[in-house]
Amino acid sequence: MSLIAAVSGVHDSGGYRRPPNLVAWLVLMPLLAWLFLFVIVPTVMLVVVSFAERDALGRIVYDFTLQNYIRAFDWLWLKVLLSSLWYALLTTLICMFVGYPVAYTIGRAPLHWRGLLLMLVMVPFWTSFLIRTYAWITILSKDGLLNSLLVSAGIFSHSAEILYTPFAIVLGLVYNFLPFMILPIYTSVEKLDNALIEAAYDLGAGPVRAFSQVIIPLTRPGIAAGAMLVFVPSIAMFAITTLMGGGTNPTIGEVIFKQFTSGRNQPFGAALGSILLLIFVLALWITRKYREED
Amino acid sequence: MKKTTTLVLSALAAILVGCGKAPEAKKLSVFCWSEYIPQSVIEQFTKETGIQVSVENYASNEEMLAKLTAGGGEYDIIQPSEYVVEALIAQKLLHPIDKTKIPNLSNIAPQFLKMSFDPDNSFSVPFMAGTVGIVVNTDLIKDDIKSFADVFKPDNKGKIVVLDDAREITAWALLSQELPINDISDANLDKVKPVLANWIPLVKVFDSDSPKTALLNGDVAMGVVWGGEGAILLQSNPKFRWIIPAEGTHLFIDSLAMPKTAKNVENAEAFMNFILRPDVSKKISDAFPYTNPNLAARKLLSEEQLNNKASFPSDADIAKMQVFRDIGTQGSKIDEIVTSLKAQ
Repeated sequence: MSLIAAVSGVHDSGGYRRPPNLVAWLVLMPLLAWLFLFVIVPTVMLVVVSFAERDALGRIVYDFTLQNYIRAFDWLWLKVLLSSLWYALLTTLICMFVGYPVAYTIGRAPLHWRGLLLMLVMVPFWTSFLIRTYAWITILSKDGLLNSLLVSAGIFSHSAEILYTPFAIVLGLVYNFLPFMILPIYTSVEKLDNALIEAAYDLGAGPVRAFSQVIIPLTRPGIAAGAMLVFVPSIAMFAITTLMGGGTNPTIGEVIFKQFTSGRNQPFGAALGSILLLIFVLALWITRKYREED
Repeated sequence: MKKTTTLVLSALAAILVGCGKAPEAKKLSVFCWSEYIPQSVIEQFTKETGIQVSVENYASNEEMLAKLTAGGGEYDIIQPSEYVVEALIAQKLLHPIDKTKIPNLSNIAPQFLKMSFDPDNSFSVPFMAGTVGIVVNTDLIKDDIKSFADVFKPDNKGKIVVLDDAREITAWALLSQELPINDISDANLDKVKPVLANWIPLVKVFDSDSPKTALLNGDVAMGVVWGGEGAILLQSNPKFRWIIPAEGTHLFIDSLAMPKTAKNVENAEAFMNFILRPDVSKKISDAFPYTNPNLAARKLLSEEQLNNKASFPSDADIAKMQVFRDIGTQGSKIDEIVTSLKAQ
């Protein structure tokens, strides 16, 4: 709405005329074009395809059908969706508990240290996440680095099964998405007003109370942003879950990927994708509603 | 000073752009499997002919089909497996080959020519063949494994890697019930469903791209993998043993073909002929040890390579193998059965 208001120049105040709206449009043009090309067009395509059929080669046939949605509401696919939601939730919670102290420490560190610490958080982004995931396979496999270390140190009597387990999936997800939790929380922590925390102590709050009633509420926007940035992509992530989980626990991302490739069933994949999109929109809408009421 | 620098830089840029741009006719766009055509072979082709090759990879036939039929890219060469060649010919999506441009076709063993999916080789030339078989780490498994039934036993739970390919897994289950692998009727699927329900929970890792990794790392003790992967394992360590399943197995033939929309047909034919040259075909076998159908190239291979049973199964074994036919939309049903069993 504010976008439209800005462009149409409703707040035309006083006697002097604002410059023509054309300039505002021109400035906004790249953004609008980007939104149209990469958000609106693909979404519309996805929804249209989800109501279509396909032929033996997997080519899309534009005959209207609800079959894809009827099939999508089978318990099988819902079960896959629920398990993906569960992994995403677990990942988000762990990222929160691990990421918060890290972000807090960086945000409160002396100024000249912060740049270096932040860089360390971002260093992994310099390599492709696939390469980093393969590195984890080398570390976690039965004859891998971790197991040989633990066995030769006498901590384990024989190699433990770490790779290709649900634990490995969550580890891979947490490892990959942790920076997305740390960075938004860090921005909130950095803006924390020290005076407020001192005031809490002066008024008799202990460290626990100061943390839970002052620091947490003040950094809540960072936590919420981080949670969204971790939760949403980890639902649909399939590369990490197949590589580190051994492909034994199908996730919704993997199922959709397979519809577009080996399943030769793009309309069904599109239907599953549309449902996932709807869930995201609903989740965003509910959190927003909740925040407004707050 | 600054002005001169800018001038020099832009002149340099112009020269660079001019050099990088190859003439229109000297181009070839190859859409092929990942890990199948060595980069050195592509570079040698460019060096010999001056044709610039752009390569794009795919990981499954269906991924290639999806991109090809969506019209996303303009490809001159694709590398479909036998059942996809059949489907593409039926849909009139392949460009006919001028066989006079490919004299090296005579290097191919007759048993890989004039196959049912392309009876005259009018649209495809064989690239590599291969099979699916069992590989066992004999350090960890002392039983004598002979068949799919021996692999998928409750004792082996958590020790197995298999290809992440619903069609393959279903084919093995069909073979174990002595059913034809291409008859994917609902009745047959009902018959193999209980078999799959027993098998799939035993599997530790599903991986089509590099099933050898889990075996090499010791995470699993046996697997049902591509022949080429098996051959690499056999080369790497004598503890690995290769077994052609007693029930029979799948023989695949990957071909080179041109999509109907190919722009650089002559370059594509030159590429096919180049690939079928004995010395080039040998290089491909060195890198990816599948069953080389090129008899002239086989003469250049070492004794060790030819004796690798995962690369070159005996003729008696090959006679027992079956090729895939296209099953169209029944693929979705297989996919659903396998996914539902995995999700349990």
